[in-house]
Amino acid sequence: MTLSLFDQFMSPTLLGIPLMALALTLPWILFFKPGNRWSSSRFSALVAQFLKWFTKEIFQPMSLGGHKWALILTSLVLFLITLNMLGLLPYTFTPTTQLSMNMAFAVPLWLATVIIGMRNQPNLSLAHMLPEGTPALLIPILIVIETISLFIRPLALGVRLTANLTAGHLLIQLIATAAYVLMSIMPVVAILTSVLLFLLTLLEVAVAMIQAYVFVLLLSLYLQENV
Amino acid sequence: MLSRLILVSANSLKGCGPIGAGLVQASRSLHTSPQSLAPLPPLPETGGKVRHGIFPEELFQLLYPKTGVTGPYMLGTGLIIYMLSKEIYVINHETFAAASIGAVIIYGVKKFGPSVASYADKLNEDKIAKAQEVKDIAIASLTEAIEDEKKEQWRVEGRSMLFDAKRNNVAMLLETNYRERLHMVTNEVKRRLDYQIALQNLHHRLEQEHMVNWVEKSVISSITPQQEKESIAKCITDLKALAKATQARAGV
Repeated sequence: MTLSLFDQFMSPTLLGIPLMALALTLPWILFFKPGNRWSSSRFSALVAQFLKWFTKEIFQPMSLGGHKWALILTSLVLFLITLNMLGLLPYTFTPTTQLSMNMAFAVPLWLATVIIGMRNQPNLSLAHMLPEGTPALLIPILIVIETISLFIRPLALGVRLTANLTAGHLLIQLIATAAYVLMSIMPVVAILTSVLLFLLTLLEVAVAMIQAYVFVLLLSLYLQENV
Repeated sequence: MLSRLILVSANSLKGCGPIGAGLVQASRSLHTSPQSLAPLPPLPETGGKVRHGIFPEELFQLLYPKTGVTGPYMLGTGLIIYMLSKEIYVINHETFAAASIGAVIIYGVKKFGPSVASYADKLNEDKIAKAQEVKDIAIASLTEAIEDEKKEQWRVEGRSMLFDAKRNNVAMLLETNYRERLHMVTNEVKRRLDYQIALQNLHHRLEQEHMVNWVEKSVISSITPQQEKESIAKCITDLKALAKATQARAGV
């Protein structure tokens, strides 16, 4: 089983059958069903606490119309965190390294926020194009810039998540390769590289959680502007 | 929703005839709500025992009779060596990545495991404690209500004494009233009789005075002028004699 550096980013197939659906749905079994019990295990209590904290953080500053998005945003953050964290294990495939998947999350949700804004309060959402207090000379340029920034948002959302995770995974692979190769040549340098790898892995764990959170946070901010 | 409909109809059909029992058994697969499973058995206090964090203790117990204490370890070592030597598992860069993520996970669990576990336990215990508090408050208030009710019952027993006292009060009031009225009546009657007496006395006095006046008048009218002159001359001579006697006495 020799691996190239990019095998981890290939969509998994088994005898020609794409396993992407399995890769996306299997993390679901990790979270226990709430069940008949009122007071369950430690894990359920922790997950419930996290969801409660997250919902409060995201939806406290939002007006009531945006609260309809609570279910989709909390499930999205849980999904992304699980996928990212599971991807750090060896020999796993991380679906969020695929740009197609991240764009599939980002574009519809962003477009939904824009359409909601345009439909419910068109004046206000168009007014977001121009920040307050700009000098009159800069207005045309600023409108153009703000429009471009509006349309770049979904791209930024998707690419941010993809790039962070792909870069992280690639770095881990590269440094692991370096340590592996150096082990037979210069063991001491290999040890140093291993230490670097350890620290990098710590960073990647943090990045995995933060990127998921940031994705959903930005979406909630766009929603706040428009709802 | 249909399962509920079937449940209800099955329950009502249970009583009638031979199909009843069959329906109950047949619909048992549709019992998805927890009502049929209460009360739930309690969750175990601790999770299953594991050795080295992943291998369940049951494996070691399973192998103990045949291979003793070192059995599972030999099995593990053998498996690993087999996979490495036959190159079923190839050592490559992923091995190092696996080692590093494994180190991160073990470090995390060892360092933060107990505190996270106690935090989760605290969450659950707080939830249970809140419910328990509600229950305790309800029980306390109900006990207090029972005590109050007993006190009220004791109070009711003294009711007859209260009524006796009240009855005495009322009788006394009536008696007082009666006596007052009697007194008043006596006074009125006396007043009327006194009036009659006074009237009679007045009559008496008037008659007396009238008679006296008449007597005086007749006496005065019977005195003739000759008699009056004589009496006046007598008085004058008497007075002169008295004067002379007094002067003589004063001179001596």
